[in-house]
Amino acid sequence: MNNIFAVAGVVIKELYRRKDFYVLFIVTILICMVMASVNIFNDAKIVRYLKEISLDLIWLCSLVIAVTTTARQIPAERENRTLLPLLAKPLTRAQLILGKFLGCWLACGLALLCFYAFFGALAASREHHWPLLNYVQAASMHWFMLGVIVAFALFGSLVFAAPSSNSTICFVLIGGILFVGRHLDQQALKLSEPARTLVDCIYFAIPHLEFYDMRDLVIHNWPLIGWEYIGVALLYAAFYMAVFLLAACVVFRRKPVN
Amino acid sequence: MLLLIAALLVACFGVAAHLEPQFQGWRGSRSTGDVFNIALGDSRQMFANSFYVKADEYYHSGYYPTIFDDNAAFKTAHMAEDTGAVTTKNHGDEHGFLGPTRNWIDALGRHFFPDHHTHLDEGGPTDDLSTSQNVREILPWLKLSADLDPDNVQTYTVTAYWLRERMNNVREADAVLHEGLRNCPGSYDILFELGRLYYESYKDRDRARNVWEEGVRRWLMLNADEWQKLNSDPQGRPPVTKIIAAWIAMPKDLNDQQKDNPLVMEQLTTHLGKVAEDDGNLPQAILWFEAGQKVSETPDVLQKQINDLKYKLGQELNPVLKPLY
Amino acid sequence: MSTILKTEKLRVEFRSREMRQATKVALLGLDLEVGTGEIFGFLGPNGAGKTTTMNVLLGFVPPTKGAAYLFGIDVRQPIARQRIGYLPEMTYYYKFLSAEELLRFYGKIFGLSRAVADRRIPELLKLVELEHAARRPIKSYSKGMQQRVGLAQALINDPDLLILDEPTSGLDPLGRMKVREIIQRLKNEGKTVFFSSHELGEVESVCDRVAIIHQGELKAIGRVADITGSHANLEKAFLEIIGYQPQPAS
Repeated sequence: MNNIFAVAGVVIKELYRRKDFYVLFIVTILICMVMASVNIFNDAKIVRYLKEISLDLIWLCSLVIAVTTTARQIPAERENRTLLPLLAKPLTRAQLILGKFLGCWLACGLALLCFYAFFGALAASREHHWPLLNYVQAASMHWFMLGVIVAFALFGSLVFAAPSSNSTICFVLIGGILFVGRHLDQQALKLSEPARTLVDCIYFAIPHLEFYDMRDLVIHNWPLIGWEYIGVALLYAAFYMAVFLLAACVVFRRKPVN
Repeated sequence: MLLLIAALLVACFGVAAHLEPQFQGWRGSRSTGDVFNIALGDSRQMFANSFYVKADEYYHSGYYPTIFDDNAAFKTAHMAEDTGAVTTKNHGDEHGFLGPTRNWIDALGRHFFPDHHTHLDEGGPTDDLSTSQNVREILPWLKLSADLDPDNVQTYTVTAYWLRERMNNVREADAVLHEGLRNCPGSYDILFELGRLYYESYKDRDRARNVWEEGVRRWLMLNADEWQKLNSDPQGRPPVTKIIAAWIAMPKDLNDQQKDNPLVMEQLTTHLGKVAEDDGNLPQAILWFEAGQKVSETPDVLQKQINDLKYKLGQELNPVLKPLY
Repeated sequence: MSTILKTEKLRVEFRSREMRQATKVALLGLDLEVGTGEIFGFLGPNGAGKTTTMNVLLGFVPPTKGAAYLFGIDVRQPIARQRIGYLPEMTYYYKFLSAEELLRFYGKIFGLSRAVADRRIPELLKLVELEHAARRPIKSYSKGMQQRVGLAQALINDPDLLILDEPTSGLDPLGRMKVREIIQRLKNEGKTVFFSSHELGEVESVCDRVAIIHQGELKAIGRVADITGSHANLEKAFLEIIGYQPQPAS
């Protein structure tokens, strides 16, 4: 486990020493500040549009950070030849994969903490109340979703030729799942066989990332979701993380290092 | 290298300064300076429509059908329907548009997004009526929709209604409606809403009457042939009561535009009838209600009001007369 | 003297993905043994199979046939690398880390406690003369400094066996001398050093035994003096062993 944490620590250092996160965070703040300064019928209490804009930006930025940070991990190690001195140590390839995953996931978590803290402050400045538990639910669901994405991007970095193609494929798949994943089974009913069975299989096989999108609940101040459902959703995410990580370990074990 | 870059910058600035006066003189939408027009062109109407729907989605606190769900009960935005000034096209189940759960994934997923039908002005997801002013949250999207598509009348009327009705923000509602009249001159929908504002908020019956009468004229103008007959007074602009009396006498012949929106004429005439009744001018009130009957889908309801007015009129003329019914 | 490094009929083939391209045989049944405390030179022309041999020893490439052992443990087990240090030919490390952070990271992988790492890291930085640059990011280092960082990370776990792939490549004469000094010092401490090099003069002065490999085959192995034999120096012996025929001057 020490090895895994050691590798994870390097990944986290890399994130906060690169400019990506700071640029995205500052851009998010600027856009939200500009939106907050708009005069809407001289009513200073309007807040939900601001919450939606900031959450949309947080989601976009977190996806960019998760996918781009993860997609370049293994390819950068190869390209920079840092992989050789690393694997020359008593570190298994599986430990390296798990360390990279943990580092990227924790890095995403730290980024999310900053973003959600800003979001909470922004919302509280107008709403004058802080539904902390709702934010905790939303942030933890968001973080676990990013865990699935990180695991998939890590697997993709071993399968696809370049980080750019891996990132593109990841973004396309994530967007597809978020927008239409929920409705695939309904659409399958409109198709004839064998397309219907194929779409049904896809529906049941894909990780349903749309579960973790609780923006509407947070924006419109819906009551808390039952913790048992949150637990089931987090387990569901953990399952997919395990599947993608296992696949990544299997693929990496067979890949030549140099 | 730096010198070259500086020279290029100076050249660019010089060319831009030289072309600017000529650009101002160009015709077409570019010369209006409207950034939405320039950036989006005609697609701004598509965005305006999606923001209008977004406002309705906010009205429902996020519980809203997607294009994959059954949206028969959401053809007319509920935030517009609830103003009472819009003909609804909704039918079907507004509570269960998702249908029954289809499998365990669907069942689990429904816990993570809004799951029941509420309106912001009726307490929202928590059924807390003290939060009914939260309907303010739809306003940014309505404002954006109006900015993108200034020709959409309903955006102004819906915005003004909620500003006035729930936010008690009459001045802003007034400003929105006047902006709507600037962009959509002569819109009878906006004139009706403006009249409501004068009548209900400012308690100014005279202004309300004037505005509603103008609305009636505008609605009648939709049928150009009919209007020509109605408006042919050699002495100039005939009073609207004369016009409406002549219109009532004509056979019912609504053209397509009038058939699209008979509700606004009914509301204009019935509100004018109420004002006339408040003023004590019962014959005029009866006239307006009879005009409303011509376009109403429930003429019996208006007939009862006419009968009540006739009874009152009869008592005024001859207090001795007993009612026959 | 116990055997610290051993290969038994080590054969490595690289199958090409392209059709019509033959399988390349990089090593043809290599038998090698290195004893504890030796400075062992592994020589051969470019493409002879030196790096492939090292890659097998480090677990990067699996052998097609045969086996390789470090400290009696099969090289495919990660634990076999617990007591070795490795310096690759081209030294690249995480540019955003400083030398100190890099050493601490590798120390964690070797399971060094914080106290041990706190003691060992300043010693190593002093040994490779990088104390002044310990906290600067590696991306600001010169090539020589990066090579010295590489040497430091190879020594972080106080290894019993050091595997160096052309350790003096790209260094100036002063740098090469310092590397030789470090190798000699390690020998005095009883460490084993297994390294490849093209600098035959250095090999001759530092190594106890050498092996010469050519086209995947072991051509000669033994003490430097025995290999040199009647030749004037190791270089001439090397050229003869690999079958080099000098071109007559026209």
